[in-house]
Amino acid sequence: MKILSIVVLSGTMLMAHGPVSRAVQTVAPADVPACPSGADKPNVAALVKRTELILKGNSSIGTITMAIKTTAWSRKLTLKIWARGKDYALVRVLEGGPRETGMMTLKREKQLWNWLPQAGRVIKLPSGMMGDSWMGSDFTNDDLVKGSSLTDDYDSSITGISKVDGHEAWQVVLIPKPNAVVVWGRIDMRVDRQMCLPLDQVFYDEDGKQVRRMLFSDFREVGWRMFPAKFTIEPRESGRETSLTYDDVQFDVGVPDETFSIERLRQGR
Amino acid sequence: MLLSLAWRNIWRNKRRTLITVTALALGVTAIVSIHSYRESVYSVLVQEITAGLVGDLQVHGKGYQADPEIATVVHQPELVEATLAKALPHSKPMRRVVGYVLAASGEASTAALVVGFQPDREQGNQSPLTLTAGHNLADVPHKEAVIGRELAQQLSAQPGSELVLVGQGADGSVANDRFTIVGVADAGSAELNASAVFLHVADAQDFFALGDGVNQIIVHLAASEEDVTAPETSLKSALDLNTLEVLSWNEILPELRNTMTQKRQQQHFVDLVVILIVGLGVLNAMTMSTFERTRELGVLAALGTRRRRLLALIFCEALLQGLVGCVAGTALAAGIVFSLGTIHLGAMSQNDIMGVRFPAVVVMKIYGTGVISAAATAFLTVTAGGLWPAIRASRLEPVEAMRHV
Repeated sequence: MKILSIVVLSGTMLMAHGPVSRAVQTVAPADVPACPSGADKPNVAALVKRTELILKGNSSIGTITMAIKTTAWSRKLTLKIWARGKDYALVRVLEGGPRETGMMTLKREKQLWNWLPQAGRVIKLPSGMMGDSWMGSDFTNDDLVKGSSLTDDYDSSITGISKVDGHEAWQVVLIPKPNAVVVWGRIDMRVDRQMCLPLDQVFYDEDGKQVRRMLFSDFREVGWRMFPAKFTIEPRESGRETSLTYDDVQFDVGVPDETFSIERLRQGR
Repeated sequence: MLLSLAWRNIWRNKRRTLITVTALALGVTAIVSIHSYRESVYSVLVQEITAGLVGDLQVHGKGYQADPEIATVVHQPELVEATLAKALPHSKPMRRVVGYVLAASGEASTAALVVGFQPDREQGNQSPLTLTAGHNLADVPHKEAVIGRELAQQLSAQPGSELVLVGQGADGSVANDRFTIVGVADAGSAELNASAVFLHVADAQDFFALGDGVNQIIVHLAASEEDVTAPETSLKSALDLNTLEVLSWNEILPELRNTMTQKRQQQHFVDLVVILIVGLGVLNAMTMSTFERTRELGVLAALGTRRRRLLALIFCEALLQGLVGCVAGTALAAGIVFSLGTIHLGAMSQNDIMGVRFPAVVVMKIYGTGVISAAATAFLTVTAGGLWPAIRASRLEPVEAMRHV
């Protein structure tokens, strides 16, 4: 208890494991709407925009532990992620099984390219396989590529306030706009009133059937923002779970163009 | 005496009898030859299925049929094969690994299905593929691949091209590796032509991280039969059904089985229509015949012929015509079937039924079941057609009948 208060007082981050790099920027940029903690019925569009901007950031470099659990096996991979805007990202497997250490996935706009270390080749993922699992996890390739935005593609409304594990949260319902090309039929999101961050999101298909639930936890302070360091996906299929835990993350840092080059990917670097 | 009387009677009006018998014979010909054609096609179909990718029987890890996961395997296949050799002495087992992958060659990539098989064991007409270019896989694993011809087109690949496969290993790892395409093949169905990547079973086991496990052990019986209940039962009693499952080809392809049963039932309906048409003809001819002979029958009755005998006489006439029609019809059908001999279906064989290629060449045979069914039909027809005139004749009042003009 004492140690924890010292940590808090000394101004470092509230974290359970590993250091989170301190970001350069300590004041929220002007385009991020303020957190309307006090309001029972806040401007919902601004709130959704804020959560999205915070979760994605303009650019980031992070180290993530991905844990996949199924009824047959469970495994852990350490990943490094470079991301810029919503169009560019590179994921590299730092530690994993012998066949996948060094594997890379490059996202360039709507396309995904994989560097396969054992084959020693790059292949482009065909559009028909976007719905397939990414590296055996409960994330799909589409989750990585998807350019859809909660702000632009969904109509949102607040249906009430509930308590989640002692946190007061707004209940937000997101319904796709009539002409939006999106995967989900509906998303229910619970947003913490203090942090203005989602606690969970429940995804439904077009028939209104629950497909999966995403949980946000392990909230830490990164620069001016609070950030959930752990994302957990629970698919409908029982006994499966995938979690991503940030061991380290920096936001709004410069990522050179070369990082997202296909030529570089082909060399396996 | 009755028979020879009946025989003489039916030839008294030759033209009418010939017409009746011809109608019957054509009906029988239709039934027998349609039946023979269908059964011949089925027999070839069953042969192709059981000799090819499906086999007569299959052994899987328990639950594989319901949910074909790559990780559901038969461990230590050599032990299962030893048991198999004891339970079904002349059968041949073949190991298979089957799993979905992403296949890429050059810039192109598409979803594909890996079929790992044993090139040293599966040769000739038991091979799951017919090469159209290049050569078959080597007997020992050498990271070679033979791919379906549509798939080759889609990937713009040919023998010598490089093939990159990505999938998921049984342990969850990302399976990825590079192979050399050595051959392009007809894989037996449109679906497989567009998706099959044949690998050596050991390469496929490595790729999917299966260890010594295989997804299927395909069993080819000494003689391929449609009904495999007996060997299935004996194999089931020999294997440990807590970890394994045994399925027959018709449990693996239930849709095909159902289609065959359905088609056979439809045949009964066609038979019924034939009966109806021919039956009405026979009824007409027999009625005419007895009506014309009212006086004669009246004389017979007046001379003391019993009603039962009159009934039997007319009935015998009907039966004799039925018999002649049946024999002639079967002979005609046999002539047609044997003169056709082997039918090349040509364009029709490009179609698939439930993922199984319609056979290109059908060797026609006469099926006993068809003849029996036709004979039964002919018998029913003449019984129905002859019964009423016979009853009518037996009920004649002699005096009135003799006065009949």
